[in-house]
Amino acid sequence: MVDRIFAGLLLAVTLGYGWLAFTVIRAPFQYDPLGPESWPRILSVLAALCLAGILWKPDVDRFDTRGGTWLRLAAIVALLVGYAGLYEPLGFVLATLLFGTIAARLLGATLVRAGVFGLATGVLGYLLCAGLLDLNLPEGPLPRL
Amino acid sequence: METVLSGLATGFAVALTPLNIFLVLIGCFSGTLIGALPGIGPINGVAILLPIAYGLGLPPESALILLAGIYYGAEYGGRISSILLNVPGDAGAVMTTLDGHPMALKGEAGRALSLSAVASFVGGTLAVIGLSLFGPLLAKFAVTFSPADYVALMVFAFASLASLVGRNGIKTLLGAVIGLMLATMGIDANTGVPRYTFGIPDLLAGIDFLVVVIGLFGMAELLHLVEQQVSGRLKTLPVDRSFLRRADLLRTRWTILRCSVIGFFIGILPGTGASVASAVAYGTEKRLAGKSGASFGTGDMRGLAAPEAANNAAAGGALVPMLTLGIPGSGTTAILLGALLMFNVQPGPLMFTQRPEIAWGLIASMYLGNVALLIINLPLVGLFARMLTLPQHYLTPLIAMLAFVGVYSIVGNPFDLYLIILLGIFGWVLRKLDFSLAPVILGFVLGSLFENNLRRALSISAGDWGILIEDWKSNALYGLAALVVILPAWAGRRSARAAADAVED
Repeated sequence: MVDRIFAGLLLAVTLGYGWLAFTVIRAPFQYDPLGPESWPRILSVLAALCLAGILWKPDVDRFDTRGGTWLRLAAIVALLVGYAGLYEPLGFVLATLLFGTIAARLLGATLVRAGVFGLATGVLGYLLCAGLLDLNLPEGPLPRL
Repeated sequence: METVLSGLATGFAVALTPLNIFLVLIGCFSGTLIGALPGIGPINGVAILLPIAYGLGLPPESALILLAGIYYGAEYGGRISSILLNVPGDAGAVMTTLDGHPMALKGEAGRALSLSAVASFVGGTLAVIGLSLFGPLLAKFAVTFSPADYVALMVFAFASLASLVGRNGIKTLLGAVIGLMLATMGIDANTGVPRYTFGIPDLLAGIDFLVVVIGLFGMAELLHLVEQQVSGRLKTLPVDRSFLRRADLLRTRWTILRCSVIGFFIGILPGTGASVASAVAYGTEKRLAGKSGASFGTGDMRGLAAPEAANNAAAGGALVPMLTLGIPGSGTTAILLGALLMFNVQPGPLMFTQRPEIAWGLIASMYLGNVALLIINLPLVGLFARMLTLPQHYLTPLIAMLAFVGVYSIVGNPFDLYLIILLGIFGWVLRKLDFSLAPVILGFVLGSLFENNLRRALSISAGDWGILIEDWKSNALYGLAALVVILPAWAGRRSARAAADAVED
């Protein structure tokens, strides 16, 4: 069932993709026999054929993921989105400190250890990546304090 | 032969500079560490560390040397979690658990680890020798390939992918097509027409390769780890003092040699990497062992040596098509190929002559790397085994941190941080539905090459599709593609029938 739902969704995307390829994409003028639209057309037909095969003969029936696991997954995705949102405003050190602590706590570390871990990844990660390896990371408000 | 020797001379001149020696050692060491982490395989390791290696501002050959070191280092390290923990790091290490873990249970963990290190070393080294011999030959031949031949080559690559990787060929093929479709986003280089950009300026240049790789192989892996996280500790067996004996080597020498050759040639097949190689090698050895093969699966040394020699040989073999044809032989080499493209180096038949420092430098570094891996793996195995006890609740946030650092520091756009999370969820769903992710990245990397060659071929023939089947080289490749699809299906049906007969008896 899950297979069919997923294949159905992908089929909708593929039809949209194919529709664009068959109607919208067009070069104003061209000398080559194949324009920018030909390749996406071929791909959309191929993808639709594969999807039809899956719809006809699905092999995964359902996700064997239990309720609690779904919750944990949803929580980690929410945390990641939060991390992404705070990455520039708070800067690497603070955002990583928060993310590391909450994520480690969520996944089963004790509060104290999670805090130490968050602090260590934030500070050491910054020193290693921005200091030693010279990578570009957001500083956030910390240097101004 | 002369080209090989002079090429190797060039290569060692590159590989033996202090910087590159240092990078080989760092790559091998961190690769083994990552490979030893339970649940993380070579492809995830290379994916997560790729942007950092890129961000260091190294010349392309040095960055490639570092990444390749991580790649085969992780192939080495994978056996540690397989043997001590019974948890394979990736599909290629599954076969190692079959006999490796029972040996460790019998109190021979040290012996199993040292034997597999030697088998890995032999497999890896023979593969590099094969690469130095076959690479230039194949490259010389491939220079004569026309665009139509390249189209046939791609068809062959995707056919062998669909037939040999994953349980469901249709899903593997669809994965590759999804990758190809993702690659069409952005401005068409030939005509300047934007495709599937929906007016979003961030998408004009297409989706960044790094974003796709980190999303599919970093974030999706992270979600998978969170999902699989078991409460309580995994039980690791201790590394004891038992060690490899001379008799063990004598007993397994032919197994190791045979499986190295098998692994190398399976690795060369485009699309198929270590997982297919180790499975085929294990099956072959079991059959060749005849009656004594009954002990396979209960801690037979041959059953341990076979997949280990094969998967390391396959890692080297997979580099042959990548370096000579520009067609990666596995998911991980697809990432290495993408890394070269990021440096504006187009891998292909001309690389051996035009950029010898990259092709030969990499090959020479692999000779060094294999020796280094053997040396650091024998005494330090206890240290690597410690990695197994790193709790998941620290590992998962660390992966997220590395992924964010990588994407942000290279692409520098907060929009992409959301994109990798989205791709991660997509990749996780694909995995749950039994798709393998390697074909997606293969399709993504090969997308523009495939399309451009098709368009070029038809431009040459002024629109006549017949050009695709004009040349004997293309036709031979289509023949091979048909063979690679038909043979496994036929063998599968035959063994199914044999099993049915056995039940009737």
